[in-house]
Amino acid sequence: MKKKLIIAVLLVGVLSFVGVYYFVFYRPTHHVRDIASEEAIVVSAKDIVKEFQTNESTSNTKYLNKVAEISGEVVEAKKDQTGKPTVTLKSDDSFSNVFVTLRGDKQLEVKGGATITIRGVVTGFLSDVVINDGIVVKQ
Amino acid sequence: MKKKILFGLLFLLVGTLSYAQKVYSTRTAQIKFSSSTAAEDIDAVNNQVQSKFTGKTGQLMFSLLMKGFVFENAMMQEHFNGKEYMESDKFPKAEFKGTINGMSTVELEKDGAYPVMVSGDLTIKGITKPVKAAGLILVEKHIVSAESSFKIKLQEFGITGKDIGTVISNNIEIKVAAKYD
Repeated sequence: MKKKLIIAVLLVGVLSFVGVYYFVFYRPTHHVRDIASEEAIVVSAKDIVKEFQTNESTSNTKYLNKVAEISGEVVEAKKDQTGKPTVTLKSDDSFSNVFVTLRGDKQLEVKGGATITIRGVVTGFLSDVVINDGIVVKQ
Repeated sequence: MKKKILFGLLFLLVGTLSYAQKVYSTRTAQIKFSSSTAAEDIDAVNNQVQSKFTGKTGQLMFSLLMKGFVFENAMMQEHFNGKEYMESDKFPKAEFKGTINGMSTVELEKDGAYPVMVSGDLTIKGITKPVKAAGLILVEKHIVSAESSFKIKLQEFGITGKDIGTVISNNIEIKVAAKYD
């Protein structure tokens, strides 16, 4: 009886140790958001820019830190200064577009004027609606 | 003939003027910050910083989104944006507006490294404070970039989470690197 109790206590101890280790130390540094399968807000580049221009604070509540699936016409595809690929999607206002930093390190091969769909995490609105952690879902 | 010379001079003038008045901008400047204590080292980087400066007057601005900071540790990132620290839902942006002093010594069309002083107003979490920092403007093959690093005190910007002063240093080092288009 005593033996069983000791084994049970040990087991609980080990399990909780592994659990704490996993959630406190392992998961936070190894878990990557699954942008491709996370539930996304589907919107066009034109509409999301309009939404942020019309009411930034309600748009922040709606979009910040969430995954959005955005389609639009490509203005340009470049690399940023650290070598990450970026793409700008057009809105109706040429001073305010959707600016996306993509995952990976390969510049997106796409011509200006082509329509693509990306998914990514919305970080907010500067002069552009800014998206991070982007992936291309349709090109 | 006179007319031609006049036109030539005019072109020359317009040419130099446009150089000086040019606005340099980027949407992918980098701002990093780090805190180092005996308990923990924290680093975060934001590669989506917007920055502009004017060649002539040296007017300079940076703006960034708090949620654009990426940490190696997702839990730290969550805490950073959370209620106790940055409250990024309430204060989604940080901004710097100021001037590059001594712009007249910087030759933007000539390769070189030009030390400058930058001063202006930094707004974080809705609180605006004056900051001063030494910086460097680098010109290489017509590409202009800038770098600077300076320290801020978190308490001055109303950031007072319980781990500040122990696990998190109250003095945060901020590093700026911007390559302008």
